[in-house]
Formats: sequence, structure tokens, C-alpha cells
Amino acid sequence: MSPSPPLVAQLVWLLPLYGFSGMLLSLPWASGLIKREGPRPAAYLNLIVTLVAVLHGSLLLREVLLHGALHIDFPWFQAADLDLRIGFDLSVTNLAALEFVTGMSLLGQVFALGYLDKEWSLARFYALVGFFEGAMAGVVLSSNLFLSFFLLEMLTLSTYLLVGFWYAQPLVVTAARDAFLTKRVGDVMLLMGLVGLSAAAGSLEFDDLYAWGGSLERAGAVGTLAPTLLGLGLIAGPMGKCAQFPMHLWLDEAMEGPNPASILRNSAVVTCGALVLLKVMPLLRISPLALVVLVVVGAVSALGGALVALAQVDLKRAFSYGTTSYLGLVFLAIALQQPAVALLLLFAHGLAKALIFMSVGSIIATTNCQDITELGGLAGRMPATTSAYLVAAAGLTGLLPLGCFWCFTPLVQAFMASQPLLAFVVLLTNGLTAVNLVRVYRQVFLDQPHPKTRRTPEVNWLMALPMVSLTVVVLLTPAVFARLALLPGLDALDPLAAALVLASGAGGVAVGLMLPLQRFSARSAQPTLRWFQDLLANDFYTAQLYRNTIVAFVAAVAQTVERFDQVVVSGLARRLGTASLASAESLRFGVSGQLQSYVLTAVVALVLLLSGLVWIHG
Amino acid sequence: MTLSLLLLIPALGALLLLLLPAGLPPQRGRVFTLVVLALQLMWSLRVLLAFDPTQGGLQLQESVTWVGLIGLDYRLGIDGLSLPLVLLNSALTLVAALCTRDLSQRPRLYFALLMLISAAVNGAFLADNLLLFFLFYELELIPLWLLIAVWGGAGRAVAATKFLIFTAVSGFLILGSFLGLAFTTGSVDFSISPLLAGSLPLASQLTLLLPLLIGFGIKIPLVPFHTWLPDAHTQASTPVSVLLAGVLLKLGTYGLLRFGLGLFPEAWAVLAPWLAGWAALSVLYGSLAAIAQRDMKRMVAFSSVGHMGYVLLAAAAATPISLLGAVFQMVSHGVISALLFLLVGIVYRKTGTRDLEVLRGLLNPERGLPYTGTLMILGVMASAGLPGMAGFISEFLIFRGSITPFPVATLVSMVGSALTAVYFLLLVNRAFFGRLAITPPQDARLDALLDVRLAPVALRETVPATALAIAVVAIGLLPAGLGHLSEAASQVMALDLLPGGAG
Amino acid sequence: MPVIPALLAHPGTPVPAAELQRRLLAGETLLADSADHLLQVVDVLASYGEVLDAYSRNLIYQAEAQFLNPFPVLRFLDGDPSPARIWRHLLHDRINFEYAEYCMKAMLWHGTGGLDAYLDSPEFLDGCATIIARKRRRDPLLALLNPLFPGFLPELIRTAATTHALGQFWRVMSDLFRDLAIAEHEGRVQSIADVVGFLRDGLVAAAGLPITYSVEIAGERCWVLPPEAGLTFLVDVAVPYVEAVFLRGTPFLGTVSFNAQAGQIPVDQSRFAYGALYADPLPTMGAGIPPSLLMQDMYRHLPERLHGWYRRRGRGEGDVRVKICMSFQKAMFCVTNAAIAGTLPETPDERAAYAGAWAERLAIARTDCLAAEQDRPRPSVG
Repeated sequence: MSPSPPLVAQLVWLLPLYGFSGMLLSLPWASGLIKREGPRPAAYLNLIVTLVAVLHGSLLLREVLLHGALHIDFPWFQAADLDLRIGFDLSVTNLAALEFVTGMSLLGQVFALGYLDKEWSLARFYALVGFFEGAMAGVVLSSNLFLSFFLLEMLTLSTYLLVGFWYAQPLVVTAARDAFLTKRVGDVMLLMGLVGLSAAAGSLEFDDLYAWGGSLERAGAVGTLAPTLLGLGLIAGPMGKCAQFPMHLWLDEAMEGPNPASILRNSAVVTCGALVLLKVMPLLRISPLALVVLVVVGAVSALGGALVALAQVDLKRAFSYGTTSYLGLVFLAIALQQPAVALLLLFAHGLAKALIFMSVGSIIATTNCQDITELGGLAGRMPATTSAYLVAAAGLTGLLPLGCFWCFTPLVQAFMASQPLLAFVVLLTNGLTAVNLVRVYRQVFLDQPHPKTRRTPEVNWLMALPMVSLTVVVLLTPAVFARLALLPGLDALDPLAAALVLASGAGGVAVGLMLPLQRFSARSAQPTLRWFQDLLANDFYTAQLYRNTIVAFVAAVAQTVERFDQVVVSGLARRLGTASLASAESLRFGVSGQLQSYVLTAVVALVLLLSGLVWIHG
Repeated sequence: MTLSLLLLIPALGALLLLLLPAGLPPQRGRVFTLVVLALQLMWSLRVLLAFDPTQGGLQLQESVTWVGLIGLDYRLGIDGLSLPLVLLNSALTLVAALCTRDLSQRPRLYFALLMLISAAVNGAFLADNLLLFFLFYELELIPLWLLIAVWGGAGRAVAATKFLIFTAVSGFLILGSFLGLAFTTGSVDFSISPLLAGSLPLASQLTLLLPLLIGFGIKIPLVPFHTWLPDAHTQASTPVSVLLAGVLLKLGTYGLLRFGLGLFPEAWAVLAPWLAGWAALSVLYGSLAAIAQRDMKRMVAFSSVGHMGYVLLAAAAATPISLLGAVFQMVSHGVISALLFLLVGIVYRKTGTRDLEVLRGLLNPERGLPYTGTLMILGVMASAGLPGMAGFISEFLIFRGSITPFPVATLVSMVGSALTAVYFLLLVNRAFFGRLAITPPQDARLDALLDVRLAPVALRETVPATALAIAVVAIGLLPAGLGHLSEAASQVMALDLLPGGAG
Repeated sequence: MPVIPALLAHPGTPVPAAELQRRLLAGETLLADSADHLLQVVDVLASYGEVLDAYSRNLIYQAEAQFLNPFPVLRFLDGDPSPARIWRHLLHDRINFEYAEYCMKAMLWHGTGGLDAYLDSPEFLDGCATIIARKRRRDPLLALLNPLFPGFLPELIRTAATTHALGQFWRVMSDLFRDLAIAEHEGRVQSIADVVGFLRDGLVAAAGLPITYSVEIAGERCWVLPPEAGLTFLVDVAVPYVEAVFLRGTPFLGTVSFNAQAGQIPVDQSRFAYGALYADPLPTMGAGIPPSLLMQDMYRHLPERLHGWYRRRGRGEGDVRVKICMSFQKAMFCVTNAAIAGTLPETPDERAAYAGAWAERLAIARTDCLAAEQDRPRPSVG
């Protein structure tokens, strides 16, 4: 055995606990125990522990870059052949993801201090964000599926609580519920896979699972029923977490939650879900069907999300569907065994998407409005917000050599020869995203000021500072990628693929520039176009579809069971009761009457008992 | 005497309370009960310390020949299956006594009955003799029935009668099975020993196991014998619901494991696939019926039907892990459902209603019940099997232990777990989210004009619920302690259903 | 004893527009006269006066000392960066100045009245140009940003101007509310009608006060709102303030969905009805309810007499801030009442039309708080 790991690594278990401790530290304020003073100390404490988490993470990253990856685990629960452990894989990838998650959390928390400056429930918000961050930090470091699942479910819970933060708002009531249930469906399927794997493979450590999958492959058992189902279960959880079709609905509704949480959700949380998928990727070979499903889901989500985003008039939703779309591309990359590109895309997208949501947040804070048809002319007056939007848009589109360009090009390159259709999906997604970004930019930032944007001073420094910082980070993304040796290098890029990506991005920008602008939720006059517009604006009527199918079905079955219970089961019991014992009516005399009947019963029982026993004995 | 004291403390307490002079202020009786029950809890912890978790079988045994003629010996013993349940009983009876308030009539009788129930339940869990078990099983019935019939809601008479009839039938069936065992083996030594039944032909074993299954199935309850439970819960007062859901239902699952599985392993193995199917049906049925409920308490009651179904699944699979899961599930269901009933009780006491079509916005920080709402969210999440709380590890162990022998039934049961989230989120989002109101929804403007004045929740009212919530989280985060306690026992009880291993 | 839900919920009865108009024209007060009402209105305004004093000082300090500061980290310290003050600030043991900024933003954003009109005038833009020219000489960041984003600095100067104007407005109101408390203490105010009269007289007396604002840059004084602009207290600041804060307000994130497709927020700002006279007091202190900050500030400055009165009602200390909000709403109706009374036109026809227009707007406000309340039994602690 190698010498014991350095202290920063031994203390790795603290990393998720920083976030969770933030939650506990907020409790005195969140619970109302402190009544005369305001809730801000809770926010400051959370910022401090998050900062400590970032620093601890960077020390670890340095350690791992110098001395190589580490694995650290602790026993949690053992019984019979079951051994559940709290295990952490300290690899460069995981730690980079950790830095991403904690860094985002830090920026999001500073932003929230400005965005929620008039929020009295600030302590509860920070407690929830701390919980959120702790779970995410654990997920990205986790070395086994059990811990990953454990924390993913905590993420589901904290998503529910964060979406439900403004619990008195009517749409939040349903949004929080739907967000939880959609994710929960995915989680339960993942749990099915997890339970099955645990029984079949014995261990839930990712490394052991890979070995088990390998042995299954060698045994030629690939594609039989059990592995196929296991594979499907494994992808269902991340599908829910990453808001992939057909489980994407929650992300739309989750936009009812506070914007700082949306920043985290659209960047860090979906990334956590995808990282879990990335970790189980080698295992998915046992289930070819799961891989096919992954490709289909990824492609449909990529295009569907990009198309639906085009028709949204709500500022937040116009970009939340983009998250579904980009995570669809990540799914494609994972399905086609391109982990490096998938990871790059996750980071590039996460950073840029967080930035665009900060920009969106500052627009909402300034204009009290999320309807892009009522906005306009912000560009000249809000420097930080405008530059954040522009840089984020550039980072999301494969046009300028920022983050996503360096992801799309290798992706197209990888798909071009074998899967030209998928390469086309990537390019089309890029183009459609560009259309959407340009469309929104023209509508919100250019054009004439509208009544609600007549007075729009730049946001306060607590929002502007993280926004500007993240703008710089997004601009530096390619350099950071290169530094971490994640980029293939210019010479390894196929010029054709790069040209195609550039062309698709430029085409999207051109189309976006030519689109007519919508005003006051105008719908197209042309019937076909209007039908199409409505279809997309309503997200292919997915919500209605669910309401009329699954929800209606469960409700109907529940009602049937209830009626059956009332009429048949309860009725039968009543009739049996009436027939066999003294009728229920006669028993209704009150307590004394009932007592008599019970005593009678007991006496009968006693007589039966004694006579029976004496008879046996005799 | 170690184990006997677990019976004697509450039983003598009950007796003493009844003998105390009649003019005693009601508050004094409550304090006396609390002292007795605290003593009982402390003694349970003392038993826990004396317990050797490495042994699988019964320990700390005591034996006194009593009515030798009919084989009714006073024999007690404890193992990893009964110890957690004894602890649960002691803790939850104390909680029930703590949360009893505003008794308008006969407080002394009430508290005496409470202690009597606790004694009888302890006796049933500890009995190492079939007849002795039966005696305690029946003994617990009368006081509970009185608690519902005297201190219940408006429809208490019918509900109490229903409870009485069902549970009496349950008792008859169990007794019948025990007597039948004695009859067919010709032995009146009612000790709990599988060797006894092992000599019987399979057909006789099955004949004896079936009434036992139905008898305990009524108590647990399993579909279709559950219909007494929602009625009993809706009419019972909060402390009685806490006891009923938290402790008394466990007598059914305990009996199933101890006597069904323990006495008739061979017949059990034959019936196991059917039992697994029954479990899955019960889980689905309970969960679906819960979705359709408007009354919060009925919803929690139906959730009990669903969640106790998991224990049958685990018992059917009878693997070491599933049986350990069964113990976990009994404990966690006990704690979680007690917590939920306590919280529903607080809501009812403050608002006068449990109707989900009426209650809204109770999270309101100044005028609502924010702390109750917070604990409610924790409770329903625990019940839905969210990790970090007691429900998850229990369900995980059961599913993990059962999926190899019964994959389909296990997967169906997991669907039931997903449905738990559905109905409990309906409950939380309807009653606690939105604008505060306790009237049926109307026009939004009229709703906004509504002034709602609920009585505040005093700190002392939330103490029991807080304690239970802490227990729920503690078991969920650190399950190793309970696992350690019960692992050996579940190893001993496990059957080797599938010699071939993975299926 | 059973709890009957119907007894715990009391539907409010709004007052119809015709009745409101009648009261306004007849010179009756909108708020019913009762001893409880007098106590609540006077004491809640006394505490509001204390809070407004702090708000006003801070807004004026911000507009003068933190003018165009990109990182106004210490802007809530009123120029007193002593460790003790910073420590209290960090513990959030302080006035919630964020609420003052919130009102200022609402006023700026709704943009009605004379002040707003002046902010778009060429004279104002000339003033801005002078200020920017002086400022960019010693501030490279501004020098860089101004040509790229020409609207940026003028918008910030408009914000500062509104901040200062609101500070001046609240200065007057703070003194008025505190004087009211003294007058009531001395027995000069004995009914709600006296309260409205006192406030009306105060507003009328202050109506013509000039609103001006200048900043000092490098030792030179630059006018942002010069005296020549002729801005005055009542028409140019008070009326827009009432419009923006009492009437229109901004939707609360905690009760209204901002989702564009849900269409819960009107497109037309003049149709907004989220202001102080319209807000639902019950969710106070909940999530996403900005006035909670004000209620907290008033809670910390509550006169003992009113505090004791609250302790004996409802949940006592438990729901005190909701009760403050309810009393505050009553008080704001009195202030509105006084403002209407002070601006009633001369001729009967005009009066009827004016009162009718107000009654129309107020009819959908929380007029249910106007009636004298019967004391309801306090729910028992069970």
C-alpha cells in the first residue's frame, strides 16, 4: 500500500460537508429563531464555507495534478454481502468538476445577495443553496453508484425546495411538485437499475462495475433482458436530471424559482446529472438498446429543445430549453463514446449558460419583466449585462473561438464519417441556438426602449461583480481548456468540420438578424406558421400530453381503486360483519354495548381454547 | 427479571394510576404516566446495553412454568428482531402520552390504558411461547378499542366496532393456527420452534400457515383486509393513531416473521412467490387509494397499507438482507408514520379540518404553521424514501434483498415507492403551499381578502415531532447501528429460497 | 372543544366605489373613526416616521457621497465606517435600507410626473454631459465605458436624482409623522378626522418646497436638479411617489408569476395594482414579499403602546409584523385620504369627477381594512 494520502485528501469528506454545514449554519435565521436581526449573516456564513470549499478543492486539484489520482473511501453500511461505502475518486476530471460546481455556487451566491436584496427569507434560500452545493460536490466526487444516487436524490429534493422557495406563488405550487415528480420518476428507474446492479454485480464501485460489465461482455451476455433493463434504468436518472425529452418539462416549470437558483440549475445541476451518466458510460456497453435510446433522446432533445426555445417569449424559458438542447448533445457524445468532448461541452456550456442566466437575472431585476416582447433597447445603458449576454452567446455558439466552438468541431469531426446524420444534428442545433440568441438580443437589447425598459440603470455591484467575473472566465475558457490539456490543439482539428461549425453558426446569426421581431406576444397571421409557432411555444404541448395521459391515467386508477375500496372491500366487510356477528347496528349502542359483545367474544374464545387444549391433552 | 420489567413497569404503572385517589388533578396523572413511560424507555435502553448483537437467537431468556396443563408457560426472550420493536414501543408510547392534551373525560383511565397497551405489546414482542403471545396479542386489543371508542371522533362507534370485529377475527385465526399446530403435532409445548412444524407434511403446514397469514394480514393490514385501518385512524385521536400506526401494526409484521416464517419455513418457501405478489398488490393498492384521499389522515393511513406491504415482500424473499430491511422498515415506518400522524394532529387541532380541498398555504410564517410544515416536508420526504432519512435505507435493503428471488414483485413495489411521492406531494403542496386559507378555493381576489387567525403552535406541542424527525434523520444517515443490532437475527431467520443464487 | 374552521377565517368586505366617493366628497374619512384605529394609525406612523428618518438620511447620503461609485460597498453606513457600525451591519442589526432603494427603483421605473419629465429634458442631459466630462477625467473606467455605452451614465445619474428627491420627500414625511405622534400625545389630535386633517395641512404646507440636487465633483458643485427646473414637493415628487408606491407598485416575486406565457402581469404599467394600498398583508414576512423589510424596520421602532396592543391580539408577538402591516395599510389610507383632500379642485363638478376617479382606483384596493374591527376572541393556545 502506498503511503497515506496527504491531509487535504484525507479530509476530502469535508467537501460535501461544507455545503451541508452552510445549511445548518443558516438555521438560526431560517427558522426565525433570531427575530430582531435580519437574515444576512446566514448568507455571509454560506459564502465563507463555499469559499473554503473552493480553496480546499483547488488545493486538492493541485495535489492531484502533481501526484496523480487518489481514491479514498469510508465504510457506511455493511450487512451480509452488501457493502455500501462513501467513496471519493480524486481524479483531475472530478476535481475540475468540483471546482466548477463550487465556483458556480460561489458566484451564484454573491449574485443572489444582490438579486434577492429585498428578500426576507434570504436565510432559507442560502440554506437550500448550501444543501444544493453539498449534494453536487458529493456527486461529482463520488466513486460509487450508491453514493451518486444518494446525492442525486438529495439534489432532487433541494431542487423541489428551491423551486418551491416562493411557496405562496400560485404557479410555484404546481411547478415545484412537477419538478420533483419528473425527476423522481427518473430517480426511481435509476434506483431499479441500482438495486439490480447491486444484486447482480455485488459491488457498486464504478471500477468494479466496469469490470463486471467487461466480464458480461466476455460471456456474451450483452443485450439480454437483464442487462438491457439495467442500462435503461441507468440512463433514466440522468435523463430526468438533465431535462431530456420526454422528461424535460420540469426545467420549464422550474423557472418559476428564484433566478440565482436557475443559474445553478442550468449550469451546475444538469452537469452533475451528465457527469453521473459519464461515469456509468463504460457500463452502458452491456445494453445496446440503452445506447440507442441515448442517441435518440439526445438527438430529439438537441433539436426539440433548440426549436422550442425559438418560440419562447419568456426570457428565462428561451434559454432553459437551450439547456435541454445542449445536454442532448452531451448525451449524443456519451452515447457515441466521446467522453472527452462530452466533458468539454459540459463545462463550456455550463459556464456560458450560467453567465447568460446572470444577464437574464439582471434584466428581470431592473425591468420587473420576463416577457421579451415588452423589452427593448437595453444595450446602451447596461454595460455589464450587455457584455455578459454577448460573451455568453458567443461562448454558446460555434462561431467565435470560445468554449463551444472547441466542443462542436471535434464532435462534428467524430460523427462526420460514421454518423453524418448526427453531425447534422450538432450543426443544426448550433445554428438554431445562434438564431435564438440573436433573436433575443435584437428584441431585448436593440430596438427602441419600451415602457418597461424606459428607465433601466445597470444593476448593483453585487450582481455586476460576479457577472463581470464570469464574463472574463468565459472569455478565458479556451485558454483554461488548453492549460488543462483538454483541447486537441489547432492542428488536430479537421478544417472541414471547423468550417461547417462556423458556417452553421454564421447561418444562424444571419437568420436571427432577418427574423421579424415579435411585439406584445404577437402571433403570426399565416395559419400554418401560427400553428407551428403555437406548437413550439407550448413545448409540443408536452404538458397537456402528460396531463391527458399519465396524470389522467394515474388519477383515474386511483379513483377506481378508491371507489372499489369504498364499495366492494368496505361493503363486503360490512356485510360479512352484519351476517356473522351481531349486526353493526346492534353494536352501535355505545361503549357499554360494545364492551358486552367483546366480553362475549372473549368468553367464547376462552371456552374454545380451553376445551381444545384439554381435548388434545386428554 | 430484565425482560419482565419491560412488562411490569407499564403494567404496574397502569394499576397504580387506577388505584390513585379519584380526586387527582388530570395533569398529575399525565405526569405520572410520563414518569412511568420514561422509566420504561430507560429500561429498554438498559436491555439494549445488555444485548449481545453477535448472537442470532433469543437471549436474556426467562422461563416460569405457568399453566402447565395447557402448555402456557411464561417464557420471554429477545433477539435482533424484537429488540428494535421493543425500543420503538417504549419510545412511541412515551410520545403518545406526551402529545395527549385537552383530555375532556376520564384522563386516569386513558393513561392507564395507554400503559396497559405498552405492556401488552412488549409482552407480545418478547413472548417465547405461542399461547403467551396470543394472550398479549389479545390483551392489547381491548384497551386500544376503548381508546378509539371513548376518546375518538364523531364516528367512533362504527370505526371502533369495525376495528374490534376485524382484530377479533385476526385473533381467532391466529389462535386456530396455534391450536391446530398443537393438534396436528400432538404436542402442547407451545414453544416457538420450527422443529415442531418441520415434522409435519407440507399440506398440513400450508393449512396451518394460511390462517396465520390471514390473521396477521388483517393486523398489518394487507389488502383486502385493510378496510378497518383508515376508519380507525380517522376516528382515533392523534396519540392513538401514533400508537396504532407506529407500534400496533408491527405486531402483524412481527407475527408474520416470527411465526409464519419461523414456524413453517417449508410451507413459507412454497407460498413465497404468492406472498410477494400479494405484497406488490398491497403496495400498489395502498398507494393508489392514498392518491384519491381528501382527508390527510386517511391518506397517511392508506400510505401505511402501502408501506407495510414492503415488509411482506421482504418476508417473502426471506434473504438476510431483505429481512434486515424488514426490521428497518418496521422501525422506520413506525417512526415516520408516527411523525406524520403527530403533524396531521397539530394541523387538525389548529385548523379544525384535515380536508385537502380546504387547507392551503399553511407555511405562512406568521399566521400559519411554518414549523409544522417544515417537519411535514421532512416527514413526507422520508416516507417517499428520500436518502438521508430512515425510509430510504429500509426500502433499499428490502428491494436489494428481494430483487433476486422476486424481480417483478420488487419492481412493482418500487413503482409504489414512486407513487408515495405523488400523494404526499399532493398533500404538502395543497395544504402548505399557496396563500394561507382554510376555506374552499374561490376567486383569487376574495381569497386575498381572507383574514385567517389560527392559534399559535406552542413549542411544547412540537417537541415530540421534533424528536421523531431527528430520529428519522439519524437512522437515515447512520443506519449501521440498527443494522448491527439485527443482522445476526436476520441471518438466522433467512431461508435459502434459491439455491442457484442470482436469477 | 372542537375547532370550527369557519370561525378562524374572516372574509373581508370591500367598500364599493360609490361609497368611497361619497365619503371623499362629504369630507368624511375613508378609515372609520375608532379608538383602536387612532392608536394604530398614530403609533404605526410614529414608527414609520423613525424609519423614514433613517431612509431619508441614507438616500441623501448615497446620492451625495456615493455618486457614481461603481462599488458602493459601504453605502449603508452613512459615512461611519467604524468597526462597531460595520459589525452591526454584518450582523444585520440595522435598518433595511434595501427597502428604501426598492421604493426609489419603483419610482424611477414607473416614471410619472414632473421629476420624471425633467429627467428626459435637454437641460438635464446638458447637466449630465458636464458631470460626465468632469468625472471621466479622473475615472478611467467611466472614461472607457461612456463612449461604448452612452446611455449608461445618464441612467445612473437619473437614479441618483430620484434617490435624492425621494430622500427629500421622506425628510418632510418623517417630520410630519413624528409631529403627528406629538400632536396626538398633546391631545391636539383625537380622531381619525383629526389625523387626516393634520396630514392634509402638513402636505399643503410643504407643497411648494423646492426639490433640488447637486453633487460635488473635484471641489466643484454641479447641479443635477437645479433650482431653475422649478421642481416642487407635492406635484413633482409626492404625487409620483403615491402613484409608484401606494398605487402601482411592482409585482412581488412571492405571489405573482413573472412567466410571460402565464400573463399574470399587465403589459400596461398604469394597470399595475401591487402598491401599498393593494397588497395582501397576510403573506408578510414570507418569501418574496419586499415590504417585509419595512415591517421589520417598523417592528424595531414600534412605540410601546402599540406593541402592547398587538401583544394582546391574535398570536401576540407571533404575528406582530402581519398586524403592523395591517395597521400600516390603514395608515396609508389616511395619508392617501389627506393627499386627496389636499388636492381636491374647487368647482363641484371637478370635485365629483376627481373624487370619482380616485374612488374608482381605490375600490379594488384593500378597502376591507377601512371598517372599524370588532375585537375577536383570541384563539386559545392548545
